[in-house]
Amino acid sequence: MPTIEFDRVSKNFAGNTVIQGFDATVPDKEFLVLLGPSGCGKSTMLRMIAGLTDISQGQLKFDGVVVNDLEPKKRNIAFVFQSYALYPHMSVRANIGFPLIMDSFKWWHHIPVVGGFARRALMNRKDIAAKITDVAEMLELTDYLDRRPKALSGGQRQRVAVARSLIREPALYLLDEPLSNLDAKLRTQMRAEISALHDRVQKTFVYVTHDQVEAMTMGTRIIVLNDGLVQQYGTPKEIYDRPANTFVAKFIGSPPMNLIPVDIHGTKADMFGNDLSFAPPEVTAAQKAHLGVRAEKVRVHTEAGSGGYPARVITVEHLGSETVVGFKFGSEDHTTEVGARASRDLFYSKLVGDVRLEHGQLCSVSFDASDVLWYSTESGELLDDSPQMASS
Amino acid sequence: MTTHAPTRDRIPTADPPPRNKRRRFSWTPYLFIGLAVLYLVLFAVVPLLKGLDLSFTDTRLLNPTGGTYIGFENYERLLGSGAFFKSVLTTLVYTAFTVVASLTLGTISAFVINRKFPGRTLARAVMVMPWAVPTVAVVLVFRWIYNDSSGVANAATTALGLGERGWLTDPDYGMFSVVVATVWKVTPFVMLVVLAALQSVPEDLYEATRVDGAGSYSTFKLVVLPFLMPTLRVVGLLMTIWSFRRFEIIWLLTGGGPVDATTTIVIDVYRQAFNNSQLGVAAAIGMLGLVLSLIVTAIYFVLELRANKQNGANA
Repeated sequence: MPTIEFDRVSKNFAGNTVIQGFDATVPDKEFLVLLGPSGCGKSTMLRMIAGLTDISQGQLKFDGVVVNDLEPKKRNIAFVFQSYALYPHMSVRANIGFPLIMDSFKWWHHIPVVGGFARRALMNRKDIAAKITDVAEMLELTDYLDRRPKALSGGQRQRVAVARSLIREPALYLLDEPLSNLDAKLRTQMRAEISALHDRVQKTFVYVTHDQVEAMTMGTRIIVLNDGLVQQYGTPKEIYDRPANTFVAKFIGSPPMNLIPVDIHGTKADMFGNDLSFAPPEVTAAQKAHLGVRAEKVRVHTEAGSGGYPARVITVEHLGSETVVGFKFGSEDHTTEVGARASRDLFYSKLVGDVRLEHGQLCSVSFDASDVLWYSTESGELLDDSPQMASS
Repeated sequence: MTTHAPTRDRIPTADPPPRNKRRRFSWTPYLFIGLAVLYLVLFAVVPLLKGLDLSFTDTRLLNPTGGTYIGFENYERLLGSGAFFKSVLTTLVYTAFTVVASLTLGTISAFVINRKFPGRTLARAVMVMPWAVPTVAVVLVFRWIYNDSSGVANAATTALGLGERGWLTDPDYGMFSVVVATVWKVTPFVMLVVLAALQSVPEDLYEATRVDGAGSYSTFKLVVLPFLMPTLRVVGLLMTIWSFRRFEIIWLLTGGGPVDATTTIVIDVYRQAFNNSQLGVAAAIGMLGLVLSLIVTAIYFVLELRANKQNGANA
């Protein structure tokens, strides 16, 4: 519970449309990641699911029931904020227990002194105390229950925020870039912890991030957004292997997918002066297209006569287990180019191991026709006849 | 990511000049600090010591340099008389009502103008105005409001069937009238400070309480108010100290009357010094008032210390 259904959901802020006619159905127990660059509307989307932001048009349904006007607390959701939004004057115990205290809150709890005792009694009530202990244990917070948030590290605060969201056992977890304030090492650790949590609680998670690594490693499904429009909705593998358009192709993957401009002359396809005999008829029917190929599918040859297309090495990044080579097609010397000119028409190859290549070295590059996707230069959309990429 | 960047050659530099073992002496810091010290000594320490000195004499206004030392006689007289304790009590009552009322109204006003509504900027400007109006003008307005025959206050009470009151002439209403005028004048200050604190409450906290199921009053009481407490404590201290030493508004409205109903310590000091010409006694009252202020400040610091300790529990 629940299946989330977006039916032409739109959001306008003072006349500016930030989400346009969003349609999607998220099955139960999915780990859905909303991925996109800053300002693409992903957080707005999450806040609309939570009920913190009104929906301008369209309908949002939980299990077929329209929830557009339902208060956040009635949606049976939990929200983990980017800033964690912990109550600074309350202990970790009180922060975690706050949603349960609110569930049992009565008007007379506002009476001075009496209310204080009543709230304390609620905190000590067997079922509430036991739940707090359980959740704290699950997230390794037992030793910090009596501390204030400011006496905790970033990772511990993040765990308190998750604990507060867990305590009420909601049907839906909404997480708004919860790892963005953590350092790289802690982020990796927390990524694994949140994934494990999803496996354990078996509930629907909607997770907002601009980090493609988080999306690819945690999500069971990803929605890629840009300028308030859904660019692609699919599993991480689908999105990586067959990006629906050039935006997704460039956004997913590091380095991004190579999008090589190809000129069409009659039935021949020309890539920087190289004839591409494998271009399908649908591509050659157009005048221009982009050839998409992942960097790890591009091979670099340094020996003469090994075939492929001539190229010049421009950059070499040694990452230990792999080497990322930036190259330009042709044998022209590019050593004097700087700035934007230097990065124009620069393509990448990701090679396994530590490969010794020199800046300016002449080489040849090759790739298989089966690893190639074709994109329309005009619309940027994937041309349908593109072959299914081999698993990467 | 490791990239092979060319290593920059270190630029050869000449040997650094030998360091002076003794640091060069400079008058500049002493000059800056000296000015501040001089200011404090001239305008705070010397008058305080002079006041203390005066309080042990029987100096009179008409012969300011002709006083003789009489030991603790002034203090004994004051502490043995009911009039001094009455002025202390009046000060405490005036302070308590002024501080509580201005803090409550200021906080409520801050919440009101923190909301979005048409004409908010104009409302803010209007609500801050009393703070900017000179005290004398405020007093003139309130004297008019409290006027026995043509004042708005009596017109209102009469319309409500409560009859007329001597707002500034009846000892039962003198304190009330002065407190109302003071609260009207000082509340905008509280409002501004609380508004600033309110705007620093992260929006996420409000949203978190909405998700957690807290109503608007619970949000205010359990989340926003604790957030505002440090600010309210500081404003409370400032308002207390300022109420202790407030003179103009009381003096100009009632002159300490009717029948000493509004004679606070400061009014008493002025009366003893300039009406009764007893500078020595006035200085002694001033000294006792200072002790009272110090006690209040000490209480504030103890509370602040305890709050900080609680906030940083097990930190």
